[in-house]
Amino acid sequence: MAPAAAHIPVAAASGSFLILPNIGLMVWVLVIFGIVMYVLSRSVFPQINAMLDRRAQMISNEIDSAESLRKEAQEVLDEYRQRLAEARTQADEIVTRARQAGEAHQKEAVESARAERERLLQQTRRDVEAETRRAIDEIRREVADLTVLATEKVTRKTLTDADQRRLVEEALSDLDFSVLGGGEG
Amino acid sequence: MSALAAPAPASTPGGSPPPGDVQPKPTANSRRRIILGLTGFWLVGLIFFIGVLGFGSHKALDVRNGTFTPTNEFKLDTWFSVGPVNFNKGVLYVILAAVITLWLMIYAARRLKQRPGRLQAAIEMFYGMTSGMARENLDTTLSRKYFPLIATLFIFILVSNLIGYIPLPVNTLDKFSLFGARLPSFQIYAADTNLAFPLILSLLVFFLFSWERLKAHHGPIGFLKSLLPSGIEGPIKPMIFVIEVLSYFLRLISLTVRLWANLLAGHMLIAFMGGELGVLVGSAWVQWLLFPAGIIIYLFEAVLIAALQAFIFAILTAIYLGDAVASH
Repeated sequence: MAPAAAHIPVAAASGSFLILPNIGLMVWVLVIFGIVMYVLSRSVFPQINAMLDRRAQMISNEIDSAESLRKEAQEVLDEYRQRLAEARTQADEIVTRARQAGEAHQKEAVESARAERERLLQQTRRDVEAETRRAIDEIRREVADLTVLATEKVTRKTLTDADQRRLVEEALSDLDFSVLGGGEG
Repeated sequence: MSALAAPAPASTPGGSPPPGDVQPKPTANSRRRIILGLTGFWLVGLIFFIGVLGFGSHKALDVRNGTFTPTNEFKLDTWFSVGPVNFNKGVLYVILAAVITLWLMIYAARRLKQRPGRLQAAIEMFYGMTSGMARENLDTTLSRKYFPLIATLFIFILVSNLIGYIPLPVNTLDKFSLFGARLPSFQIYAADTNLAFPLILSLLVFFLFSWERLKAHHGPIGFLKSLLPSGIEGPIKPMIFVIEVLSYFLRLISLTVRLWANLLAGHMLIAFMGGELGVLVGSAWVQWLLFPAGIIIYLFEAVLIAALQAFIFAILTAIYLGDAVASH
């Protein structure tokens, strides 16, 4: 490398242009730079600035809108929670009321059933008593007839009504019908 | 809730990702293979050139007789003149930079949407960055006044730098033949490699911040007084004043040289590493040896330096303007 590098031609004289500014180029640069700056500052930078402002405004609006929406959503949520709480209270009340009504109804039904049972029991009891009484009367009548018949056969005479009644009464008085009446007759 | 609380599906026994997952790219292996392949290709090429041509020098005629010099490509060869106005490749690059800047910005500005695409996002990032530079260094009035200057400086220098990395047939001093036609050689050139470009912009900035300082400090006396930092007393005061005055004027030089030297050195390095050194020493193997370094420098310059220098120029403009009106 070293011997080869020694052969590099030294262009000291011709290289002076490197450190000397070209005046013509300076003018060109100044003029062209001025034009570029003028055009950019008139028709490009304002547009970019306006767009960035619009975007900043849009972002600001979006943030405001989001905040407003958030507040609205919070309000809706609060209202919803309040309503939910109210609904829960109401539901609890309804359930309580229904339970109370159910219990009252049940009690009423039990009472009604009990009363009906009592009523039916009394009715049955009355029916039984009536039937018993009727049966006793029937038996009494049968016994009386048999008694009359038997007496006629024994005495070979026809009894008058007064005799018959007397005899029957006598016979019946000897009989105890209280057993048939369940202890009541 | 159930869906959220559902346990994650168990991974398959074989360890393969479940269907629907993005398959990891086999980057590591293929990258290593590419690097190894390229290194092998480079080594084989190096051996080939040394084997066939040897270490000896085979200089071209133009190199031998001194017609070809590496700095020639930065020479502004006047193509034509209109009256006193010369037209050369420097002017072409400045016009190209202006046209591309304007086209890009106007194109983007006319298609601005609330949901930005990639270009719009980049333009907005540029706008936000340059307006941030202005806002952070200047008060509201000056920020509004000088934002166009700062933003234009940034985008104009950036575009100028970037088009400087596209090879174009603009080297009219070193032509090549194609089917008998003598055509300008391709080269990478940037207008900022000529001192004129950064110097005039620096002069503009220097004039503006000096003017603002003059206005802010009510005339030349206030101007000079403002250069002296507060709290300096005693015999050291004149010395500090001289240093501050020098430092003030050196801003012009530093602003100019930083941009110019970076771009010029970058372009020269790319050209040298990309093959020019090999041409000068007349060794193909030197060209082949340094070519990867050329690519690396090219990428470094195009990706980092182009944007960095534009950024530095723009932010220093904002800082100097801010400093001009600040009270010490």
